[in-house]
Amino acid sequence: MKKTASQKLKLGVFVVLGTMLLIAALYSIGNRQNLFGSNIKIMSQFTNVNGLELGNNVRYSGINVGLVSKIKMINDSQIIVEMLIRESVGKHIKKDAVATISSDGLVGNMIVNIIPRESKKLPVVSGDTIQSFSKIGTDDMLTTLNVTNENAALLTADLLKITTKIIDGKGTLGLLINDSIMARDLKLAVYELRKASTGASQTITELKDIISSINKGESVAGVLLSDSLSGQKMKTMVSNLEQSSDEIIEVSKNLNVVLKDIKEGKGALNYLANDPTLVNNIDSTMNSIKEGTYRFNQNMEALKHNFLFRGYFKKMEKQKKKKNR
Amino acid sequence: MNNLRSRLFMTQSLRIVERTKAFFTEIGDLSFFAWRFFREVFTRPFEFQELLKQCYHMGNRSLLLVGVTGFILGLVFTLQSRPTLMEFGAESWMPSMVGISIVREIGPVITALICAGRIGSGIGAELGSMRVTEQIDAMEVSGTNPFKYLVITRITATTLMLPILIVFGDAIALFGSAIIENLKGAVSFQLYFNQVFDAIEYSDIIPATIKSFFFGFAIGLVGCYKGYFCKKGTAGVGEASNSAVVYTSMLLFVIDFIAVFLADIFFEI
Repeated sequence: MKKTASQKLKLGVFVVLGTMLLIAALYSIGNRQNLFGSNIKIMSQFTNVNGLELGNNVRYSGINVGLVSKIKMINDSQIIVEMLIRESVGKHIKKDAVATISSDGLVGNMIVNIIPRESKKLPVVSGDTIQSFSKIGTDDMLTTLNVTNENAALLTADLLKITTKIIDGKGTLGLLINDSIMARDLKLAVYELRKASTGASQTITELKDIISSINKGESVAGVLLSDSLSGQKMKTMVSNLEQSSDEIIEVSKNLNVVLKDIKEGKGALNYLANDPTLVNNIDSTMNSIKEGTYRFNQNMEALKHNFLFRGYFKKMEKQKKKKNR
Repeated sequence: MNNLRSRLFMTQSLRIVERTKAFFTEIGDLSFFAWRFFREVFTRPFEFQELLKQCYHMGNRSLLLVGVTGFILGLVFTLQSRPTLMEFGAESWMPSMVGISIVREIGPVITALICAGRIGSGIGAELGSMRVTEQIDAMEVSGTNPFKYLVITRITATTLMLPILIVFGDAIALFGSAIIENLKGAVSFQLYFNQVFDAIEYSDIIPATIKSFFFGFAIGLVGCYKGYFCKKGTAGVGEASNSAVVYTSMLLFVIDFIAVFLADIFFEI
């Protein structure tokens, strides 16, 4: 009897534990499917649900917040997806949130992603319909890939033609690759270019040295650039030059006025400057003076040889010699 | 020569016919046995004490065997699946894959097969030896209904205990799998069980639980049938015990197939 009581106790523990395990598992599964909590129902309209099924997860900002509870086809291009969202999360989803259907990982189940927007709209309430956004599906991607493949095939065919021509030595590139003379010329050109670049490099080095010496203030330019005293002097010079130029401008202005007066006035200077007859007269007078002077010189030479004045000129020469000694 | 061949062919054909007849007769007998069970299970007197005793022997006494087997099953299943999933970079799918496999199929079937070996053969041998030693006849003579006392209690006990054993077996197998994931993949126990319960749905657990009642019923029914109608002699006891295990195992797979088929229709698994 005692043994039977112990057996009963053990059996009771076994059954209770087993049942509790089963209930815990059932509760855990139900809890994850939002069967025991309070939920709100929101809807979204799609044109293509990409294989979405009942019970697929609904995510908001990456957190599982509910499940797809109904998929209803309204017409040939409108599908209403009804989602059960935990009430505690519902207050964070705003009325302008956007629902998209995507895949959970590369080969995972389809999920509904609710994307929040930065707005201050009211939170959704049960029965609300939020906007949807249809992402590019696998079929669309495959179609695009197909077009890309066709283009790639065309490109490859063209590339094949080009490479064949190049190999045959046709065209500029073909010549460039196959012509040995051109290759030699090119080699020479490259050699010359290298030489030129070496020279340029040397020149740059020298220039660098010069600039460095200028920077150090070793040359005139360096002194000019680096010596502050010289700089000050230069500044003064420039200032003086500026002043002088101002004065020159002033003088030239005055001169202009004077010249204008001379040109337009009726004085002797205007007559001298503008009358061509006077110039002719002066010219002929000057010629006459020149001729007169020549003749006067001849007369004087004649006087030197005259016996009356010869003594006087000899005396003058002697005195000149004495002075030179 | 031709005559000999035709005689041999006739003998073989007759043997096949006999065997087929025996097979169908046995199925018929088993069906009558099952029908008798359903007819008498709800009628008085109820042998509660014997039922509790049988539940203890079949439930509690099998727990260790089921637990150890389940633990090793989870361990080995995870270890064997890991390399393949790693090749695809899908190690994160391990908890959901192992969870669904164990809860839906492997857990119930393996636990039922173990129980068929332990409980089915035990019932067959026990009732067989009682039949051989004429204890069952003595019970009939003394006015006790041996069917109610021996058969109904045992079949009811296996039907009730097997689902609980399967729950324990599944839990321990998942625990074993979680240990391997924790050691090899650095997956915490919390994350592991979160992923398992994320993957499992009612459509996985309900058909498996319903199926486990049928498994238990089949184990008890075949074991009792084989023992109750045991042939005379010690060889009959051994045969009853052995055939109980063989028939039960076959019947378990048939039930499993039907269960999966029905679950596919009703739960869209």
